[in-house]
Amino acid sequence: MSIIQVQELKYRYPDTERLALDNVSFEIEQGEFIGIVGRNKSGKSTLCYALAGLAPHFFGGGYGGKVVVNGLEIRASEIEEITSDVGLVFENPFSQMTGSKFTVFEEIAFGLENKGIDRTEMVQRIEESLFLLDIEEIKNKNPFSLSGGQMQRVAIASVIAMKPNVLILDEPTSQLDPQGSEDVFRVVENLAKEGITIVMAEHKIEKVAQYSDRVLLLDDGKLVDINTPEHIFSRDDLETHGILAPAATRIAQALDIRDPLTGLYPVTLAGIQRQRGEI
Amino acid sequence: MGAMTLYVKQRSPVHSMDPLTKILYVIVSIAVTYILRELWAIAAMTAVTFLLLVIGKVFRKIIPVLGLSLLLIVSIIVVQGFFNPENETVLFELGFLTFYEEGMRAAALFTLRILNMIGSFGVLILTTKPDDLVESLIKRGFSPRFGYILLSVLQLIPQMSATMGKITDAQRSRGMETDGNLWVRTKAFFPLIVPVVLNSLNETRERAIALEVRGFSSKGKRTFLNVTEDYPYRHVIRGVLLAVLIGAIVWRVWT
Repeated sequence: MSIIQVQELKYRYPDTERLALDNVSFEIEQGEFIGIVGRNKSGKSTLCYALAGLAPHFFGGGYGGKVVVNGLEIRASEIEEITSDVGLVFENPFSQMTGSKFTVFEEIAFGLENKGIDRTEMVQRIEESLFLLDIEEIKNKNPFSLSGGQMQRVAIASVIAMKPNVLILDEPTSQLDPQGSEDVFRVVENLAKEGITIVMAEHKIEKVAQYSDRVLLLDDGKLVDINTPEHIFSRDDLETHGILAPAATRIAQALDIRDPLTGLYPVTLAGIQRQRGEI
Repeated sequence: MGAMTLYVKQRSPVHSMDPLTKILYVIVSIAVTYILRELWAIAAMTAVTFLLLVIGKVFRKIIPVLGLSLLLIVSIIVVQGFFNPENETVLFELGFLTFYEEGMRAAALFTLRILNMIGSFGVLILTTKPDDLVESLIKRGFSPRFGYILLSVLQLIPQMSATMGKITDAQRSRGMETDGNLWVRTKAFFPLIVPVVLNSLNETRERAIALEVRGFSSKGKRTFLNVTEDYPYRHVIRGVLLAVLIGAIVWRVWT
């Protein structure tokens, strides 16, 4: 059974007429890495909030359809139950720091303290998260003294320590430099290998193409398609949905390099080299 | 940018005292100086407070705060020395200024009370880590939400002032005058304050979401990362403090 099931989801923010999500349906399997792409205001963040239960529990508003995450029906569940299963990381690393903790170690402990995790297990989980995110050397630093990339890794570590089955990331690299972005994608890919289901809304198409198992394309609150990166980025109508295919795909299109079996264009440089028999 | 905290990291017997005992000390020492009217007793209490500051190796940190209260103390001495209604006995004269014994006594009383109040809060704040203080209150049933507010302002206010600096620079780079006379500053206020407030509102909303997904609203029992070892002398010290408080009340009633 799929870990995430979304059936005919409709959502409207309070005091608005427009549907931010309009009849969206899809399923995600455990351990998959799903990239969500779409132009601004296409509903990417709202979909992230809906999967994390913040829509409707935190924002209120109009809600229709059904979202089930790891057997929990989001609408019928308490936010407390949902947060035990679903972690959310978002764009601005600064505003994800609680502000009430004075070291990275304590910052990661915040969620575990709230959940009443036993201290011995708490320390063990924090150590694991620090190791997984490769931030052990900054564990005694003040979170606000860190760079954006380090702070974002602390934000992810704080969520990971709570051992969610599903990790949702809403444009986590938009404020990071290229190296910081690459680090975050690598870390998240490793988490997917550990069996955590990843759903990441992201504008960095090259990275989405490189790391995602499947890509979910949204436009104006509607699901356009959910498929492999090669399928999504080979679509003829991609630009009408506000998305520019990765550079590798555009080069492959210009040189007509495609998979002879599927007819799809590669989405990475390695994909082009594979088609040319170079690797 | 660091946190806005006055805590001084040191190793001292006062630092190792538990926060609740120190809070009790603040309450008792202030209460005693207001319950009693005997100058010697108030002076003794103030001396104990300053002795604790010395033992806690934070005496030098309290001096600037005392300096700030100097104006208040001087004005008390002048007002009480000249105008206390009970002024009768002339203590000394400085040219045309006459200081009376009754007034100077009252001024000394008020001055010692102020010094003791500042000093005892200094004992608590300068020698206690803010998170230890708030955690010990939460463990005693204090609201975690209120505790969060107390702790977060220590770090978020410096962050907000950093944001204000960035926005000021951004507006200056677009030609806005932010320095100069009062009129220039007033004109610059709104273009600066609007982005600061909007930015803060946005960050507050995002921070609320971040707290929510990390279980801040959990109704279950919380645990704590920091282990606070029970301070061995807490019962003795708290007992002495309560005895002093009761003794002061009894003394006041009897005399």
